[in-house]
Amino acid sequence: MKRRGHCVAAALLALLGSLADAGEAVPRRVASMNLSADEILAEILPAERLVGVTRFADEQGTSNIVGRVRPSVFRFQKADMERLVALAPDLVVVSEYTDADFLKLVERSGMRWHRIQGLSSMAGVRQAILDLGRAVGAEEAARRLVERYDATLADLARRLSGARPPRVLYWSGEMTAGADTAIGALIECAGARNVGREMGVQGITPPGAERAFVADPEVILVSSWPGIAEAVTGHPLLSRLRAVREGRVVVLPNERLIALSQYTAEACWDLAALLHPDRVPAKRP
Amino acid sequence: MTEPGRRRLVLLSLLAALPLAMAAGVALGSVPLPVGRVIASLVSAAGLPPWGAPLEGPGAAILWSVRLPRVLLAALVGGGLAVVGTTLQSVFRNPMADSGLLGVGAGAAFGAVLAVRLGWAAHVFLALPLAAFVGAMAAILVVYLLAHAGGRPSLQGLLLTGIAVSALASAGTSVLLVATEEFRVKTVLFWLAGGLEGRGWTHVQLAAVVILLGVTLLALLSRPLDVLSLGQDEAASLGLPVHATRLTIFALAALVAGAATAVAGSVPFVGLMAPHALRPRVGPLARHLIPASFLGGATLVVLADLAARTVSDRLDLPLGSFTAFVGAPYFLLALRSSEGRT
Repeated sequence: MKRRGHCVAAALLALLGSLADAGEAVPRRVASMNLSADEILAEILPAERLVGVTRFADEQGTSNIVGRVRPSVFRFQKADMERLVALAPDLVVVSEYTDADFLKLVERSGMRWHRIQGLSSMAGVRQAILDLGRAVGAEEAARRLVERYDATLADLARRLSGARPPRVLYWSGEMTAGADTAIGALIECAGARNVGREMGVQGITPPGAERAFVADPEVILVSSWPGIAEAVTGHPLLSRLRAVREGRVVVLPNERLIALSQYTAEACWDLAALLHPDRVPAKRP
Repeated sequence: MTEPGRRRLVLLSLLAALPLAMAAGVALGSVPLPVGRVIASLVSAAGLPPWGAPLEGPGAAILWSVRLPRVLLAALVGGGLAVVGTTLQSVFRNPMADSGLLGVGAGAAFGAVLAVRLGWAAHVFLALPLAAFVGAMAAILVVYLLAHAGGRPSLQGLLLTGIAVSALASAGTSVLLVATEEFRVKTVLFWLAGGLEGRGWTHVQLAAVVILLGVTLLALLSRPLDVLSLGQDEAASLGLPVHATRLTIFALAALVAGAATAVAGSVPFVGLMAPHALRPRVGPLARHLIPASFLGGATLVVLADLAARTVSDRLDLPLGSFTAFVGAPYFLLALRSSEGRT
């Protein structure tokens, strides 16, 4: 009787163990519906386990991994639930803003999801890489990626130590980046002061050209997207800014400026090289 | 052909068109599914004798979790909006009346944008449609309270109050959009442009309860609606409690339009086009026009949604754009032909 009790207990424990394992199963097929995840997964995930990325992964001027994802991997042209279900991934990586109703449908279609989030700071991006690594069962690769990320930022901090931070205003189609934004964090990481934050802007919002003019930034930061720099230099008011008149409009490649992945550290380096050419070389040694 | 005969033919055609449109909506999509196996799946689920091998695996998941609820929701939304248009056109005695006049669309948009701005939409299941529904109901309530502030309003007073409240809600939406992070704005733009991506059975259940109940009650009010369409004085002289009847109809129309807008966003022209196209064919009586409009509107939106999700491989085009693409030219043609007659 006692032995039978032991057998039942052992069977129950084995069952619970297998259920726990199933709960933590390493996903064999991962689909990404977010460019940041595309960029991170292309680096940390064995190629055969990545079954879907966004079409943006192949877009010059948007992606930092153009040509890095195998052509056989499916490209999501849109947030297409039918295609997603047909791919049968066991994990879907979604963005911070994917709405909860879509995620419920993902769950009901038998898939797990991981939300990549907290990307509005350098530390947040670092954590998101580690979290994604854990979710896809590639902790070690994610840790190595984060080590490189940290090393770049540490090298940059060392070089910028004691440098006078210029006051930088990001400008894109009447919008600027204030506090709690990835671009604001990028400006500060590159050894500058974010004028958007000084102006009290929260998020990416239009502060009005008059306020931007009065703030008198030393440098204007724009993306390389066509027409963005011209919109500043041709603006009736902004063109009269000291920074514009004296040619201090710095252009960062768009794919770097919008990067929310390991490439954020490289974007930081690139921007620092533009703002502090005497301290930071364009190419990292 | 006699008028009753023609009416019967139109209603039978609509009764046949809706299932056909729904079958096309279920069979076609971005992932090709064998039509025979789709039918076999539906037949098997209905408990009918086997009709071939049903879909399995991802195909079955696509059919049951994604496509079928979407098609059913499209039918409910289209039918509901068409019936709302029909009833409001009778009450206002104006063929251009639709739920927009009551502030439903603008109020729902404000609620939806607020849910996105505050981050609820990303983290709470059903937050977006519920916020949109609350927004729509709040707008209606404000219209009612403002219009009744100085006693019982005229139809014109109600209409102008609705326009003013819509403008206020739209202004609030614009302010929220400007103050919202750009990635979040993109989320809400999909809703504002109208669409059914990411909607599942829960949305169908919620919408079905409100829309079917509302449409049924409006259909039961067919006779008072016909009396109201004669004019306020005539209706009162026939013993109809004009104010109470009108309020009941507005409340039901607002519930139906609010539920439809909450789950699908802005889907314009359905409430105008379906009754306008069917009135000359089935006649102006609400007991004929309401069922015909429901079927016509449902068919229209099912087909528009099918087009929205299959026309482009790169984008899910907004459902609202498709109904507008069809609705706007239709109205221009109708306008030209009516001007030609006068």
